[in-house]
This record gives sequence, C-alpha cells and structure tokens, in this order.
Amino acid sequence: MKFSELWRVSSKVYAELSFQSIFSLRAGGMLPQKGQDSIRKLVDSAKLNTVISKLLMTVFIAVFAFAGFFSTTGAINVPGLSKELTMVGTIATFMALVLFLMSFMGIQVSTSFVSSKVVAVLSPLPLSSRDVSNIIFLCFLRIFDIPLLTAAVAPLIAYYFFGGSLLGGPVLFVGVIVTEIFSVTLCIGLAKFFYSKVTSGGGRSRWQTLMRFIFMIFWVIPSFGAYFAVNFATYLIQLYAAFAQTFSSYLYLLVLLYPFSYGFLASYASFPIGVELSTLGLSIVSCLVYSLLAAYSFRWVKNTIREVGAAGAGARLREVVKDTVVSSQAPWLGIIRKDIRLASRSPSYASLLFLPVIQTAVLAVSFSFFVSVMGLNALLGFLILISSVVLLLPPNLISLEGLAASYTRSLPVRKKTMILSKTLLTSIMYIASLMVLLVVALFFRGDVASVLTFGITNLFSVAAAATSELIMLTNKLWRESPAVGNMYAKLSSYIVIAALGLVVVSAPIIGAFTALFFAPHLVFPVFLVLALAEFALTMVFIGSKK
Amino acid sequence: MQEIGVRVSGLVVNYGSFIAVDNVSFTVKVGEIYGLLGPNGAGKTSTLKVIVGLYEPSAGAIEIFNTPISDEVAAKSQIGYVPEEVILLDSLTPREFLEFVVSIRRLDRDAVNSRLQRLTSAFELKQYFDTPIAALSMGNKQKVAITAALLHEPRLLVLDEPLIGLDARSSKILKELITFHAKKGGAVIFSTHIMEVAEKLCTRVGIINRGKIVGEGTVAELRMLVKSAEGSLEDIFLKVTEQEAGLQDIIEALEEE
Repeated sequence: MKFSELWRVSSKVYAELSFQSIFSLRAGGMLPQKGQDSIRKLVDSAKLNTVISKLLMTVFIAVFAFAGFFSTTGAINVPGLSKELTMVGTIATFMALVLFLMSFMGIQVSTSFVSSKVVAVLSPLPLSSRDVSNIIFLCFLRIFDIPLLTAAVAPLIAYYFFGGSLLGGPVLFVGVIVTEIFSVTLCIGLAKFFYSKVTSGGGRSRWQTLMRFIFMIFWVIPSFGAYFAVNFATYLIQLYAAFAQTFSSYLYLLVLLYPFSYGFLASYASFPIGVELSTLGLSIVSCLVYSLLAAYSFRWVKNTIREVGAAGAGARLREVVKDTVVSSQAPWLGIIRKDIRLASRSPSYASLLFLPVIQTAVLAVSFSFFVSVMGLNALLGFLILISSVVLLLPPNLISLEGLAASYTRSLPVRKKTMILSKTLLTSIMYIASLMVLLVVALFFRGDVASVLTFGITNLFSVAAAATSELIMLTNKLWRESPAVGNMYAKLSSYIVIAALGLVVVSAPIIGAFTALFFAPHLVFPVFLVLALAEFALTMVFIGSKK
Repeated sequence: MQEIGVRVSGLVVNYGSFIAVDNVSFTVKVGEIYGLLGPNGAGKTSTLKVIVGLYEPSAGAIEIFNTPISDEVAAKSQIGYVPEEVILLDSLTPREFLEFVVSIRRLDRDAVNSRLQRLTSAFELKQYFDTPIAALSMGNKQKVAITAALLHEPRLLVLDEPLIGLDARSSKILKELITFHAKKGGAVIFSTHIMEVAEKLCTRVGIINRGKIVGEGTVAELRMLVKSAEGSLEDIFLKVTEQEAGLQDIIEALEEE
C-alpha cells in the first residue's frame, strides 16, 4: 500500500479511536440516549479540546525552544557556565522535555488505543499484516502530530535564528528525531509491558498486587518527568551548571550520556574553536550509537505496536483459581476500592492520583529553602498550590463513574455516598501530600509545627472544596450523563467547577493572609474558623441530601 | 389480586427530536415472565433502560413493586439487570467487579458467597475469576453480568437479550433460572429476538414497533389478534409488525443473485 493510502486509512482509524475513547471510555456506552445533535456536539467539543491541548503543548515547545537558544546567545548569563556548556545544557534539557512530554501524552492515550481494539477492526479487511502495522503506527503518530512536528522544527529555526552554525543544525535535528523515537518507544514499551503484565494478567496474590503497584509507579514516571521538566527546566540547567563546576574533570563522561551527547556535538559544531579531539570523537561515536539505537527502536515500535493495539483482544490462558470468595464492604469503601483499582490500571488516572504527591515532593524540595526563610507566607502559598492540584481529583474521580455507566448506573448508589467516598479519597491524597511535605520539612529542619497545624486544618477546607465540586458534578452527572465528569468532554463546565473548588479552598488562606497584615496573632484562629465553617456548611448540605 | 411487579404508564423516551418510545404502557405481574419483542430499533432496549433507571423518561411513570423509579435506591435495590451490550469495568477482574457490586448492594458476605459459589459453578466462571474482564470472551462477560444480576436475589429481573453469546449449557441454565425465579414469586421482563425462546418461556409478550406496543398478551391471545389459529410466534410477530408483506419477494430476489 502506498504511504498516501496508509495515511488516508489511518485518518479513519484515528477518527474512530477518538470517538471510541469518548463513547466507551468516557460515556460508558450511554451516548445513545442523546440526540444526534448532542452526540455531534460532544464529539466536536472533544475534538476541539484535543486540538487545544495539542496547540498548548506546541506553543510551550516552541517558546521553550526559542527561550533556550536565546540563552545561548550570551544575553542571559548562567553562572558558572561558558556559552559552549550553556548550549549543551539547553539542548539536553530541551530533549529531556520533549522525551517526557511526548511519553506523557502517549501514555495518557494508550488505554483508549488498546480498548478501541483497532487491530480487531483492521484484521478482517484485505490488508497485509505489514499494512495493518503501518496504519496503526501512523494512527499512533497522529495523536502527537502537531507537537511532534513542532519539536522537530522549532529548535532548528530557533538555533539558526540565534546564529547557529550550518553543521550544528543537522546534529540538533537528528538529536530531536532520536528523542521523539525514544519517547514513542518508551510509550509502546510501557504499554506492551503494562498490558501483558497488568491489564490482561489478573491475579490476586500479594505478589501480583505488588507487581501491579510497581507497574503503576512505572507508568507515573513519564508524568513525573514531564512535570519536572516543564516546571523546573531552569532548575535543571542550574543543576547541570553545578555539576559542570564541581566535576569539570568528569565532563567527558557526560559526553557519552544521552541527551548530552547531542548537546556536546551540536555545541562543538557551533563553537569549533578549541575543541578537544578526544571529546569530539567520543561525542560523534556516542551520537552514532544512539542514532543506531533509535533506528532499531523505530523498527521495534513498528513491529510491536500491532501487538499493543490487539492487547485487549488477546486470548487468555485459563488460570488456577482457588476460590470464588468475595469480600463485602460498606458502599463508600467499595467505591474507593473500585476507584483505586481502576486508577492503578489506567495510566492517566494513576498519574492524576499521584500528581499531588509528586508535585508536593518536587515543590517542597526545591522551595524548602524559601519555606524556612519566609515562614508562614510561603507555607500558606504552598498549601494553595498543593490544594489546587489535589482539587483536580474530584472531576477525574467522577469521570471514573463514566466507565461502564450503562451498567453501573443501574446499581442502587446514593448520591451522598458517592460524594463522600470521593471526598474521602481526595482527602487521603491530600494527607499523603502533606506527609511528603512534613518529611521534607523534617529533613530541612523547617517549621514542622506550622506545617502540621496549618496543613491539618487545611484538610477541612480541601474536603469542603472537594465536596462542593462533587455536588456540582453529581448534579450534572445524575441529570445529564457521566460524560460530563470528563474534563475533556466539557471543558467549560469543568472550568466553572474547578474555579468553585479553588475559591472554597482559598478562602481560609486569604483570610489568614489578611489577618497576617492586620492582626498577626489571629492568623491561625481565623484560618481554623473559616476552614471549619466551610467544612461544617458542606457537611450540613450533604446531610440534607438523600 | 396478583401483585404488580412492574407498572409502566404512558412512557415516552426522546433522543433529541427522535421519539424512541411513544406512550407505552404495560404491567408485569408477580410470577410472570414478560417478553418484550420487536424489530431492531423498535424501542425495547430504551424501555428496559428506563425501567432500570439508566435513562430518564421524557414522560410517563414507572413503578417497581409499587416503588416509583424516582425513588432510585429503593427501586434499583429490587432489580437485577443484564444489559444488551455488556460494558463492565473492563480492567477489573470478575472477583473485583462483583466485590464492587456486592458492596454497593450491602450484601451479607456469607450469604453472597454461598450463592456466588453456586452461580460460578453453574456458569463455569470460576477459572476466569481472577482474569481481567477485558480479556474475557463476550459470553463470559455476559455470564459475569448475569451473576451480578442474580447475586442479591432481586424481586425483578430485567434481561436485555440475555442469551446472546451464551453457550447452549449456560443458555439452558439461565432459562431454568428465569422460570424458577418467576415460580418463586419474582417477576421477569426480558427482550429477545429468538421467537422460539419467547414462545416457550414467556407467560405474556408485548410486541413493540416504532416505539408503540402493537400487540400484547399470551401467544394464544396474539393468535386471536392476527386471526390465525396455527401460526407460530414468529408469524404473529411478522404480521403484527407489518414486516410480512413482501418478505417472500425479498428472499427470492436474494436467491436469484
């Protein structure tokens, strides 16, 4: 089949994939109740949101590329780094950013990719296995199309725009292409590993449960990497600068390490005067090795992607099952256990569940210095940051109810039980984040007492905010359809709900800030009273519901 | 007087401007197996989904053992439902899925486990109990849904095409279970395209076409309706739904090709 035909067919498969991810995953098969116009609106809105998220990522990549190469002109002075080493750091950081962002994006969609069973649709058609693999591969690439293209072109333009050399451009371009291949390989590798070991390999032994937990952590790593690279790119360059200063004699080791190899080679091509031949030789060899590895990875991905696309349809061996005993718990606990189990098998939900903890760890470590020096101001700001990320959870936990809604909505679940169970899970994740903050505070000898008192008090406010979000979400969920819980399906509703949560969680903190200026001795009482009042109000409201 | 298990009055279901169910009314008494028959897209599944509380009706009222469906928790607690298209929580195993259902329904652990053991043994589900639902065949997914529907010994069974995908053995067991459930004082409402099954199993049938009930009663009563003394339920169905006319011509035209 010609490439143009493959590309055309892949567009149909991609359209089906997008629709399936809305219909089966997000709406749980509930769409038929809607009229054709409403379904079209929902699909259009999901498509628009996909384009918006792609464009946002594209803009981010482009801005980062230009800002990065602007620093290599010498306009921004990175302490301790020559312009040669600044370029190495910029290119390496950019590549790390692309690697994690693309992996993060790929992992988020890989569940839809598998559940759509694209191979099952394509296989009966008169297509060769090679064509099927190619179509699936192109379909997978379509998920990243604009960001992938931008990541390849934007740094090149930025490099030449800020006076790069003729030879440096191709090195940079190859480096970015290698990075893109590595990110797709990481996605497919994790998906293959995950679906063979976790999703299609059940089991209930402690060992299998532990393995599932470990795989879940693996899933979250690219999300963590993306988050870290996006938020702390400059911090990474500073780390690199510190390394370069402290271990200057070991810099040649860095030449062997991806993505620094490409950074060094591009830097040597840009500033050829005074280059040591030995390190130049090392960087050329290591770049060649990584490029060969990328070529091999590309072939592996093309051959493997078909397996991943068929993972959901794979036949299973019969397992030895000792008994059919099930445990019964209170409904609220049953919902929490179900949510955790579902999240542990979905990369997008797993990363969202862990995001508050990861964010707290990263922020706490990087800002621990400021917390100890600036005290209460910083701590209160810190609590807003953690809370705002924690409050991303309720809409996502509600969207979990969209899965299999065409069955689960026939179960006798009370709205109140649903709200309280999801509030509790959100609060647990906040407590986990608070624990991380506490450990960091202990390690850096920060103000542990303040972290404890304000952190625990803020829990009431977080619970109140989560409950408020959940009341709005369940009101819509019960009236419209579970698809509304999914932020990608209805961004406008989501923004309103998220804003409400943010207002509720910020109110006691703003009150405490105000008290800090006018009556510093009343900071904690004001904070406590406001947080408790919010919590009490929402609980009274929930108590009045059926 | 026989107790009413399901009372549907003046039910209307709209999808945008399309009217899927148009002023449908019927009752299912305790001890009855009520078959809902109709061509594709006639409104059977929409009717059943409203009965189990999945869809909101545009108009009309539904009562489950005198409990209005608006009293969601009380009404749904009395229903065991098997959907037409079995979309369950695919990444969970049957054990995990049933644990969720059992928790939501607040079932007693010992009672439920003894019942579960019998059901899994009857439907040969034990070997798949720790395999993710995503990896199960359609028939086995159907068995998981049937098990979940029967676990709490519901008073009303709502089964939407429950025999599709089931092997002969499981199909036979399910039919026996349905009959037993009705004899024990439960009510059953189920949709099917298999006329022979409906004819053998159902106490009464309702034939729905283009959203309206066009015929209702026992098979004998329906025969009287179409003025045919010997016709099978399939013949009656084709007559009532006006699908008989020209059918022979279509078959002949296809055979000529």
